[in-house]
Amino acid sequence: MNGKTVFVGMSGGVDSSVAATLLVEQGYKVVGVYMKNWSKDLPGMKCPWAEDLADAKRIAVKLGIDFEVWDFEKEYRERVVDYMIAEFKKGNTPNPDVMCNQEIKFKLFYEKAIRRGADFIATGHYARISDGKLCRAVDENKDQTYFLYRISNEAAAKTLFPVGGMLKPEVKKLAEEKGLHNAYKKESMGVCFVGEVGMKDFLKEYIDIQPGEIREIGSEKVVGYHDGAVFYTIGQRHGLYLSGVSGEVNDGLPYYVVEKDLSRNIVYVSKDLNHAAIWTKELELRDVFLREPVEGSELMVRLRHRAELIPVRLEGEKLIFEKEIKRPASGQSAVLYAGEVCVGGGIIA
Amino acid sequence: MIYLDHAAATPVSKKARLAMEPYFDAEFFNPSAAYLPARKVAAEYETAKATIARAIGAKATDLVITAGATEANNLAFSAAGEGEVLYLVTEHDSVRKVAERRGGEAIAVDRNGRILIEDLRKKISDNVSLVSVSLANNEIGTIQPLSEIAALIREVRFDRLSRGVRQTLYLHSDASQAMNLLDINVARLGVDLLTLNAAKVYGPKGVGALYVSHEVKLSPATVGGGQEKGLRAGTENVPSVIGFAAAISNAKEHIGGNRKKYAKWRQILLANLQGYELVNKKHTLDNFVVLCYNGLDAERLIFLLEERGILVSTGAACAASKGAKSHVLSAIGLSDAEISGSLRITLGETNDEEQILEAARAINEVVEGERRRINEW
Repeated sequence: MNGKTVFVGMSGGVDSSVAATLLVEQGYKVVGVYMKNWSKDLPGMKCPWAEDLADAKRIAVKLGIDFEVWDFEKEYRERVVDYMIAEFKKGNTPNPDVMCNQEIKFKLFYEKAIRRGADFIATGHYARISDGKLCRAVDENKDQTYFLYRISNEAAAKTLFPVGGMLKPEVKKLAEEKGLHNAYKKESMGVCFVGEVGMKDFLKEYIDIQPGEIREIGSEKVVGYHDGAVFYTIGQRHGLYLSGVSGEVNDGLPYYVVEKDLSRNIVYVSKDLNHAAIWTKELELRDVFLREPVEGSELMVRLRHRAELIPVRLEGEKLIFEKEIKRPASGQSAVLYAGEVCVGGGIIA
Repeated sequence: MIYLDHAAATPVSKKARLAMEPYFDAEFFNPSAAYLPARKVAAEYETAKATIARAIGAKATDLVITAGATEANNLAFSAAGEGEVLYLVTEHDSVRKVAERRGGEAIAVDRNGRILIEDLRKKISDNVSLVSVSLANNEIGTIQPLSEIAALIREVRFDRLSRGVRQTLYLHSDASQAMNLLDINVARLGVDLLTLNAAKVYGPKGVGALYVSHEVKLSPATVGGGQEKGLRAGTENVPSVIGFAAAISNAKEHIGGNRKKYAKWRQILLANLQGYELVNKKHTLDNFVVLCYNGLDAERLIFLLEERGILVSTGAACAASKGAKSHVLSAIGLSDAEISGSLRITLGETNDEEQILEAARAINEVVEGERRRINEW
């Protein structure tokens, strides 16, 4: 025993199970915690929380560690889900995982663990803390710093990411070797279980549908109808109800959402990948959160989870690119890196 | 593997499996078809229903075959019509949820889980049309004094008639857990509706039956081809009903032997276990052993025993892990800590005496291990 106490968030997935296993082997006094953030089933979608909880507990029992369930449902609803719905209503495409890490896992969970006498908290995220700085994971393919850039430096300083130095296949292999029953379990996706595909169905539980037109940008020609502009995201090309406009030859090219006019409830689409509305050399940010000083650093930005790193300059709250980039949806995060270090980021305005 | 969760599921007996076999291919015909091979299947289906009915002292025409006990319980509640319903507070969710949806009122139990007859008497107002009390509880095995309840129901009916009150009153009982150990006869029990479940008597899952006395009017669960007296339309599940019949008649045949065997194993288990409180002391099915390890978390014990190849349960299988505490243990007056520390062991045909001894040893060891871990912390 090394005498230090760690509270580890256990989701029932393989990553946090391996994280807990490694902590026990490293001699920490470990307490496993399942954060109960959401338990409601949705139409056609069963929330797997009870199975996840049982999986997490089974691993904790196998490791011989204490295990607790901490209920954050009310806070998750208020700080993550309500925020998410409000953002969608404004026409943005928010990232609930960023909010969940900022408000729940690395705030409420962290604070409660510290109150309970923890020296550290730990999660199964793929990220690293080096010299107190949040750094990208060794497994570039799995790196989750995109979702973690807004966690406080205070919490980061007391966080352990036991799998952040490993490759995913190594984690899986270790899980198999240790006989962890969930070695083959599918990863949970997106906002807990909703994922990108289910987001629209999820939102329809909270936002009334409002039919409107889908128009081709420029020509203003009506090419279809939608059930609410708020449900659509810039760049989206699936799930559009487009009519084959009569008398026209369908060229088979897909339409992309390029703009939304919420005041008139119109979704604008285009087939032209070179359309001016799609491309930009600048991005306005809001709620910029910098974890490190950035003056004089060569910065790179990531505009989606696992997307490529793009060289960028930060001027005030504006990102300036060398080359034109495809405009990401407002509400998504732009996360900044100096080398391996995640220095912060902001929300795309 | 030592399986000690026979209240959750039983394996399909060889007898039942062999009986079912021909009906998957050679005798696959739709019993509603006109040609002779199909008429033969229809006849065999009716014979199977008669066998099931005979096991509870009823006729084939009294039975509605359903897809299990949950559906049968749901269907039974349609007998209530516009009236009010009463149900025992410890009922399985398949009764409780239906009753709650109809605004039903719960009848209290004593510390053994037995119905408080006086509470029932108090609550049977003139608007009550259905009372539902399971024959044996699925979490703690409590056997209810059904004929005593039926006597009260008869008394109330008589009283209503004497005062010119026209509201009908029926008694329903879910007998799913009882069929291996109790000799069931609907007339002797005095029930109007009785639920049976093949999956608890070493028959296939997904098939059950509702006994319906001839004077009870039900609303159809499904409409369509008019099968099951028009109450539950849909092509007959022939193989499963054949298997059900084989399983239930076998269970009926072995009731006496089973009771002796399970009572003995229960004794052995209790004598060899240490540091527990017995939850189901009285009026219980012989194959139910509910143990309370105060201060421990029974779910941890389940996972630890699972690693040693021993499968046990806490309360009802559906309640496991959902975070909701058992409403049954709560109703008999256990504290939250006692509820979390309660293990359900249900003995059955897959066991033998040696397994019982081995299970007792393993349970003692994991309990001791958990107590040690907590003390070290």
